[in-house]
Amino acid sequence: MVAIPAQHDAAIDLKGVVKIYRGRVHALRGIEMHVNRGEIFGLLGPNGAGKSTLVKILMTVISPTRCTGHVLGKPVGDKATLGRIGYLPEHHKFPDYLTGAQVLDFYGAMGKVPREERRRRAGELLELVGMTEWADKKVRGYSKGMRQRIGVAQSLMNDPDLVLLDEPTDGVDPVGRRDIRNICAEIKARGKTVMLNSHLLSELEMVCDRVAILVQGAVSSQGTINELTRDQERYEIEFSGELPVAAMNAISSLVIDGKPPQLSPHKIVVHRAEAADIQPAIDTLRASGVVIHSVRAVRPSLEDLFMQAVTDPRTGQVLKPGAAPPTARRRAPAGIGGRS
Amino acid sequence: MRQTWAILLDAYRELNARKLFWLTMILSALVVMAFGLVGINEKGLKLVVWDVESPVVNTKLFTPGEFYKMVYVGFGIQFWLGWVATILGLVSTASMIPDFVSGGSIELTLSKPIGRLRLFLTKYLGGLIFTAAQVFVFSLASFLVIGIRGGAWEPGLFWAVPIIVLLFSYLYAVSALVGLVTRSTIAAVLLTLLVWFLSFGVHSTEQVMLGWRVQRELETASGEKRLATQQDELKNLEASAKPAGTGEAGEEHAESKSSRDLERKREQIVKTERDLAEVRASTENAGKWHMMAFAVKTALPKTSETVDLLRRTLVKSAALKVSEEHDAPDVLPFGRPKFPVTLKSFQERVMEVQNTRSVWWIIGTSLGFEAVVLGIAALIFCRRDF
Repeated sequence: MVAIPAQHDAAIDLKGVVKIYRGRVHALRGIEMHVNRGEIFGLLGPNGAGKSTLVKILMTVISPTRCTGHVLGKPVGDKATLGRIGYLPEHHKFPDYLTGAQVLDFYGAMGKVPREERRRRAGELLELVGMTEWADKKVRGYSKGMRQRIGVAQSLMNDPDLVLLDEPTDGVDPVGRRDIRNICAEIKARGKTVMLNSHLLSELEMVCDRVAILVQGAVSSQGTINELTRDQERYEIEFSGELPVAAMNAISSLVIDGKPPQLSPHKIVVHRAEAADIQPAIDTLRASGVVIHSVRAVRPSLEDLFMQAVTDPRTGQVLKPGAAPPTARRRAPAGIGGRS
Repeated sequence: MRQTWAILLDAYRELNARKLFWLTMILSALVVMAFGLVGINEKGLKLVVWDVESPVVNTKLFTPGEFYKMVYVGFGIQFWLGWVATILGLVSTASMIPDFVSGGSIELTLSKPIGRLRLFLTKYLGGLIFTAAQVFVFSLASFLVIGIRGGAWEPGLFWAVPIIVLLFSYLYAVSALVGLVTRSTIAAVLLTLLVWFLSFGVHSTEQVMLGWRVQRELETASGEKRLATQQDELKNLEASAKPAGTGEAGEEHAESKSSRDLERKREQIVKTERDLAEVRASTENAGKWHMMAFAVKTALPKTSETVDLLRRTLVKSAALKVSEEHDAPDVLPFGRPKFPVTLKSFQERVMEVQNTRSVWWIIGTSLGFEAVVLGIAALIFCRRDF
């Protein structure tokens, strides 16, 4: 993994975050993570990978065993900085005796937002999340999706510079999910930073500028989706007919980034190739008289990356959920290198 | 301050949403209403429209104002505020801390720019609002009833608010600690009641030990006095028994009587000394046990004495009449004394010892207990990973 230089102007800049719970459970094993200001950053990983623990450390809900890092230019744990951060925890529970408007007012006041501004922002945010009509109804009568909407609005009450949303679309219908995506995009458009923690990889793929994959308490990889998928991008050419040895040799010499193509009886896979790179291979195939059935540009999805990250390269089995056992040493899944 | 007000307002809203809060308020109102429906006339009591003749409660013996004040002290303070309302308050507020630290809720609050210590203590303070509101309503209603029905307007009745809140705060500190550690409302209620009954039990034990010690001390003093008298009497007898003349028959007879008196007196002195030694040993024993009970009591909250403080404060500030005269027989609680001790002197001495315990000792040591319990709870809250 590439070493990340400390940057205090980053939204989040973490080095060596370790959390060991009682009973020697290693929840985080030296997290290094960098989130730029003004981007939407996705944090993904299997259950028990340490995503929520990491977010809770950033929000001072959990104290780290070791941590060097900054959030919005201040050391992790600085209480005053929390006034500039919005947070929606996973499985959050609002007091059910409050109405939606009271929830926003209460958490706004806890975020030190002045009364007048609270009133103004509550109105705007209720409108933004489509809850204006339900503002004066008790939270106990809300559906899960409505609670999520109020939760998102609550996280924005203090007009934060950084918003941490832990599973914000959990229990939300497709329309609500789209709305939340749009809200994230709008926050980003205002120059603010969003950190999303979600299992819904397709959604993260739609909105995130950069992602980090956590596996067993450590960052397996991080970077833009393009950066992470570049190693896996490839062209696959399927053909029928017998390929002469001379043609095979010619195609094998098409080395890109030091990686030769993979040849099988009826398929050629050219890694990290652009469209122009494979033209000689196609010419050679045509000249050899074989029939080309398909030429396919393959770009792995975030899900492919994720699955690769959580698969044990030795056994091919999906790694067990939860933090790594204290004695085990985490192995980075093959083919995924850390980038920043 | 914005955050503090927000937490206190939230505490009010939380209590307001609880049925038990309003149930308790209604019960308080009903109790005072019932209090107001009882009247007194020259024949006895008047219950709404029914007359109940009573030779011991009538306007020949008490003015209506005095009657209502006595009922307020005897029932309102000792029974309602000191026990029932406090238990209802504990039950109503016991879930506040467990709910506060429950998963999904605590993360939202801790992620705000407020220190954990301040957050916890403000939340604790919010719990005291319940009792303050409840006692205030009860005191206000009682103030009006005593004023309107009894013709006595006593602002001193409002001393009940800080004193009962103080009593509640000792117990609520325990409830907060247990609620924080176990996150269970039932455990918080049960263990708090256990601590309350424990401190009540220790208080009662200390009172018993004090009574035992005082009775033995009075007996010792009485015994020493008797011994001194007997020794004086012996000296006088010995002086008068010295031979004054030559052997006349009458003198011989007198000498014989005198020696018998001397012998009897000496026997009495021996018996007194033996009894006194026993009483002294018992006094030493009682003093030792009382010291132990007192030491344990010092470390615990003085719930009974705090309530009694309210009675004393109200008697003093609101000129309440308290019946302290009893028609009880002159029987001492720790057996027939070996040396004469009156019940009155016993009661006066016990009262004297109790009065040497200042208000600051009662409140100070109780607040010390509260500070330790709250300190432990705050330490756990500040260090815990949620």
